[in-house]
Amino acid sequence: MEAFSLLLHGFSVLLTWKTLVLMMVGLLLGVFVGVLPGLGGPNGVAILLPLTFTMDPTSAIVMLSCIYWGSLFGGAITSILFNIPGEAWSVATTFDGYPMAQQGKAAEALTAAFTSSFIGSLFAVMLITFLAPSIASFALKFGPPEFFAVYLLTFCSFVGLGREDKHKTIISMVLGLLLAGVGMDTVSGSLRMTFGFEDLLRGISFLVAVIGLFGISEILLTMEERLALRGHAARISLRVVWNVWKELPRYWATLLRSSMIGTWLGVTPGGAIAASFMGYNLAKRFSNDKESFGKGRIEGVFAPETAAHASGTAALLPMLALGIPGSGTAAILLGGLMVWGLNPGPLLFVEHKDFVWGLIASMYLGNVVGLFIVLSTVPIFAAILRVPFAAIAPMIVVSCAIGAYAIQNAMFDLWLMVLFGVVGYVFKKVGIPLAPFALALVLGNRAEDAFRLSMIGGQGDLGVFWSNGLVGTITTLAIVLLFWPLIEKVWTQATRRLSSAKA
Amino acid sequence: MHYIFKACVSASALLLGAVTSASAWEPTKPVELIVAAGPGGASDQMARMMQAAIQKNNLMKQPIVVSLKGGASGAEALMYMKGSDGDAHKVLVAYSLIYMLPLSAKLPFNWRDLTPVSILALDQFALWTNAGQPHKTVKDLVDAAKASSVPLKMGGTGSKREDHILTVFMEKKTGAKFSYLPYKSGGEAATQLVGNHIASNVNNPSENLEVWRAGQVRPLCVFDKERIAYKTKVAGDLSWNDVPTCKEQGLDIQYLMLRAMFLPGKVKPEETAFYADLFKRVSETAEFKDYLERQALKPIFLAGAEMRKFLEEDDALNKALMTEAGFVAK
Amino acid sequence: MANSDKEIVVEDPTAPGADSPAVVSNRVVDAAVMILLLGLAVLLGYDNYRTGMSWEDTGPQAGYMPFYLSVILAGAALYGLVTALSSRDAAATDAFVTRAQLSRVMQVLVPTVLFVLMTAWLGIYISSFLLIVGFMWGIGRIAIWKSVLTALLLTAALFVTFQYAFDVIMPKGPLEAALGY
Repeated sequence: MEAFSLLLHGFSVLLTWKTLVLMMVGLLLGVFVGVLPGLGGPNGVAILLPLTFTMDPTSAIVMLSCIYWGSLFGGAITSILFNIPGEAWSVATTFDGYPMAQQGKAAEALTAAFTSSFIGSLFAVMLITFLAPSIASFALKFGPPEFFAVYLLTFCSFVGLGREDKHKTIISMVLGLLLAGVGMDTVSGSLRMTFGFEDLLRGISFLVAVIGLFGISEILLTMEERLALRGHAARISLRVVWNVWKELPRYWATLLRSSMIGTWLGVTPGGAIAASFMGYNLAKRFSNDKESFGKGRIEGVFAPETAAHASGTAALLPMLALGIPGSGTAAILLGGLMVWGLNPGPLLFVEHKDFVWGLIASMYLGNVVGLFIVLSTVPIFAAILRVPFAAIAPMIVVSCAIGAYAIQNAMFDLWLMVLFGVVGYVFKKVGIPLAPFALALVLGNRAEDAFRLSMIGGQGDLGVFWSNGLVGTITTLAIVLLFWPLIEKVWTQATRRLSSAKA
Repeated sequence: MHYIFKACVSASALLLGAVTSASAWEPTKPVELIVAAGPGGASDQMARMMQAAIQKNNLMKQPIVVSLKGGASGAEALMYMKGSDGDAHKVLVAYSLIYMLPLSAKLPFNWRDLTPVSILALDQFALWTNAGQPHKTVKDLVDAAKASSVPLKMGGTGSKREDHILTVFMEKKTGAKFSYLPYKSGGEAATQLVGNHIASNVNNPSENLEVWRAGQVRPLCVFDKERIAYKTKVAGDLSWNDVPTCKEQGLDIQYLMLRAMFLPGKVKPEETAFYADLFKRVSETAEFKDYLERQALKPIFLAGAEMRKFLEEDDALNKALMTEAGFVAK
Repeated sequence: MANSDKEIVVEDPTAPGADSPAVVSNRVVDAAVMILLLGLAVLLGYDNYRTGMSWEDTGPQAGYMPFYLSVILAGAALYGLVTALSSRDAAATDAFVTRAQLSRVMQVLVPTVLFVLMTAWLGIYISSFLLIVGFMWGIGRIAIWKSVLTALLLTAALFVTFQYAFDVIMPKGPLEAALGY
């Protein structure tokens, strides 16, 4: 119970008026930058970092981590209201969150997103509290083959799920993988698929593509139908919140599963993205009513949000314990730690107990306070829907452009965004699904690198993917998931035969 | 909203209140510090330290922001600088990448197109193994590599770059075989060594410092003519000075990497002068000196003609190494 | 907190009529997309073949994965092309887009393209102002003073947020330069 007394000590460090005020300011700023296009978590934290240089490290990290929680909460807002994912891991939230908003259930969707974010974070924080040392050492078990196996698992959980034609799903995923490979290849250090264009050196930014595919194309589609919008004058009442919360126990399995996936993947870099997709897909796979996913099912909001936020929270653990940031925002927090003269690494837990436990305690408080702050601001955000579309549309275009430009300060990215907008519009209309494309674009490169590093290490022998218990289990699981429809069919036939034989 | 605005206003007031500098020209908008590497790497750490040193000591009125452009192994940052001719609000935190990337990837970039401002330090490289492994000297590691049926794995940052070159030259000098695993950052290579996924790595001291302090890795030697000067105890009762040079260990390879600041091309002389003065003063701050010592960087300060001379020589040296290692793209 | 939810529906008097003639059928667009994808696959496949697509003793070369991905893409696109052309599905001959719909899509797409084009010359703030005014007034038929006011407030807010509060550098044009930014 050493952890428990340390945590109590952490709370005692935290519970002063000054820190509580900093916390509120941080959360509000965070929600604000999370909603603002082109800022989002990492940029927001980076920009606000200098504000904290004059504070003592504990106050500073409390404020920064609250900005982080706030931006995590805020990222869900644009995904649900406008189908524009502010962060890579919010993509899966748009699948059901946006349809819900279209059906006039924006307030419910937002409440669901915030609540499940809260649950995911809380789960991860509790795990961090009690398992910090052992989770940190678990992260060390991940070499290239293990990383590849995890990515493979993410991809496999995607294939064979969609209602779309199989060949169209394949086209979408393969195209994403191909575009992910554009630019410099890390493993050989040579350029590929750039055709001599300097602008292609950087590769195709995932966020630019997503802003075009989801944001711009949505405006084109909406425009094609009519300049009308149905929204709810959602004065959030306690009733909406209560109605959503009432639903929670029914989805305990989804929430628990997503929390676990999120925490597990959070300790590996880039985990939150994989976690949100995997959380969504598994919820769909285990659901009795697969058809209703993607059409505004509340579970489709719960699953990815819980996973993404469990993962976003867990991402701080390897940063503190090993000095490897698990996400972009964690990387910037890492920079902050160094500015304050703290050196993230295994020794941080020994040398700066006050700081570490103060931070962990702030995760608890920040999330509780954050939930109330965002819930109370839901009506403001839902009210955005009341503005006429003719005014909203150009504003969304401007937002998308600012977001796309801010990523790399490149004009070329604005043209890419428009191009992807048109591609998204056509793909949606001919029934090529966009989700596999987004997934492949974001994870394709890492998966390929991990595969090739495994091959170099394993002398070109595919056996490395079964070389130990951990990687073997994940790889096998991935392959089982890939062939699940087939296995399921064989299984039902076998049982039917068995039962008919008995009869 | 009220809070946000207040916070922002007070922040800008804070920054505007900074002490005036003596230079004629001064930045008129936020200065971007461009890092040609991913988050958490040695370049990023240096940029953030400089940002803190400048802001804490009020060395400049305008704020300074670190912007990471590590895409395409850092090529993104180089091309960004190349395309920013005449913009004196962008400063590149450069390292030997500026010589190597144009050779290995046929990148249309030449550091002579940029404006060199100053060289702030030289970074060391060391050979590291996992502390749990029996290799305590370079000879142990080389013998183990020769005895092993499959080549031992050596980790490093990027392909056909400094780390890769050091590995190739180790192979040439010792006859042992290593398989080189190019990771995306030095931090990743450090973690992978701690997790025993690779047998050794050739990280900069800063990249392995924390895991060394935690007793998880062991430095075998540094790739320099002389030992690192710092005698403060860093890891247990060992100081950087206690790490032998590779030459002492019978492995005659030396390599030092510059850490320099560049402005884009075609900037005015007074703009270059402002930054030369600024970085000179940064290099005199307590934060910077502390940083050099902690990260075991070799102090050096070069600007103007001296710097150009150094760059030309360093360029020729790197080109020779790249050619010998067979990394120059045809 | 007793407010019950109230539904708002914003009706659109300019909605496209259902009887507008089709510009192009689903089948044609489907086939055209597949042909474009096929072309892309061939192009990328060729580039990766040039980069090197064999398997060395240390694993695949830089072009290996993308090359085979191009092959898979080409295969899937070919299959898609055949299905699109041979489809007997009634939906295949349905309109992909009607003339009225297309003109409305263009009403957003063309301003967006112009906006990006202008951004390169005038900077993002002026272009945003023009886009918002143009769209609200010209297409949304919202009163000119409302449009200008909204655009002005929004652009100013963006400018203050990015320029001062967050130090994010956005493309700027001659007007900002004249004002000293």
